[in-house]
Amino acid sequence: MTPTPPAVVDASRRVADWEEAKTLLMMAFSVSQDAARKDTPIVYIIHGDDLLGRRGAPSAMVATGLLSAARTAALELAGRRVPVNVVAVGDETELEVRDRWVLRLAEPDGPTGEVIRLDPGHIGKALP
Amino acid sequence: MTRLAVVTGAARGIGRAIGERLQVDGYTVVGVDIGDGLAETSFDPVQLDLTDPTGVATVANTVRDLDGDLAALVNNAGITRDARLVNLTESAMEAVLDVNLGAAYHLSAALAPLLVEGGAIVNLASRAYLGNFGQFNYSMSKGGVVGLTRAMALDLAPAVRVNAIAPGLIATEMSMAIPDDIRQAMVEKIPLGRMGEPIEIADLVAYLLQPGYITGHVFVVGGGRSLA
Repeated sequence: MTPTPPAVVDASRRVADWEEAKTLLMMAFSVSQDAARKDTPIVYIIHGDDLLGRRGAPSAMVATGLLSAARTAALELAGRRVPVNVVAVGDETELEVRDRWVLRLAEPDGPTGEVIRLDPGHIGKALP
Repeated sequence: MTRLAVVTGAARGIGRAIGERLQVDGYTVVGVDIGDGLAETSFDPVQLDLTDPTGVATVANTVRDLDGDLAALVNNAGITRDARLVNLTESAMEAVLDVNLGAAYHLSAALAPLLVEGGAIVNLASRAYLGNFGQFNYSMSKGGVVGLTRAMALDLAPAVRVNAIAPGLIATEMSMAIPDDIRQAMVEKIPLGRMGEPIEIADLVAYLLQPGYITGHVFVVGGGRSLA
């Protein structure tokens, strides 16, 4: 069976201020709600440094906000085997690698509510 | 010198307990709330809407006008507008983000320059940041508060420490408004077998405001519910 292509929200860029952060989070809500209504998997792409707060508050609020949103959406959609996950990239992450993980995390028998960190910068640090 | 503490959402519930606890520790508390319950407290009252940009500026000006050093900021104000993701409205999404996350961000940015060296910020997140059915907006907003905490901890070190508390089910007016049977079912899932009391959150806030070696941390206070 071919997995359903996921709805993807790419929020890995550096965010400048609250207005940009809120715009990204509202966009993520819209995409997520549309996907949830169609039983489509969801994958959020964030930057790993933002989980740690290393690129400033607006970027961090988006990354950790999406991680929490993924956990809640995963809970709500788990009964229908619709996964919701997060990919955390680094500056050196190749697009092909990122996209491969996006597809993996959309598989119905795979993880849900999880974050996969593709950059080793998180090792030894605390996950939110 | 008088030590000032700004506490948002101070008119009732956890915020009021925090303000009263900090008064015991000798702080002069500036209580901020959109509601009128501040009249029943002995805080320096500032009644306004923190989602209004002028509101944040008013709080900063109030602190500047008081005779004292700003030693503490507690971002506690929050709202819920619960619904499953498929049913959530855009207005409920936006309102929760604006109050729970936007106001905390703007007030922190405005007051951080006023905090004395050795001061501290405590942000009230929620156990829902770990995920909670029917709270996509609330969970996202409180997750954002965790990120805000982490980033500000790095940005403001070493002068100011920034931590967060993620309460579970606490016995407040908001919790008591939950229908009895549903609330009882929630309590039965808590290993400690009861709701938390506001003072149990306030005590931890008071501890985190004392000089120490902790910054950028989130304390889940939920009676073990994050495990069970």
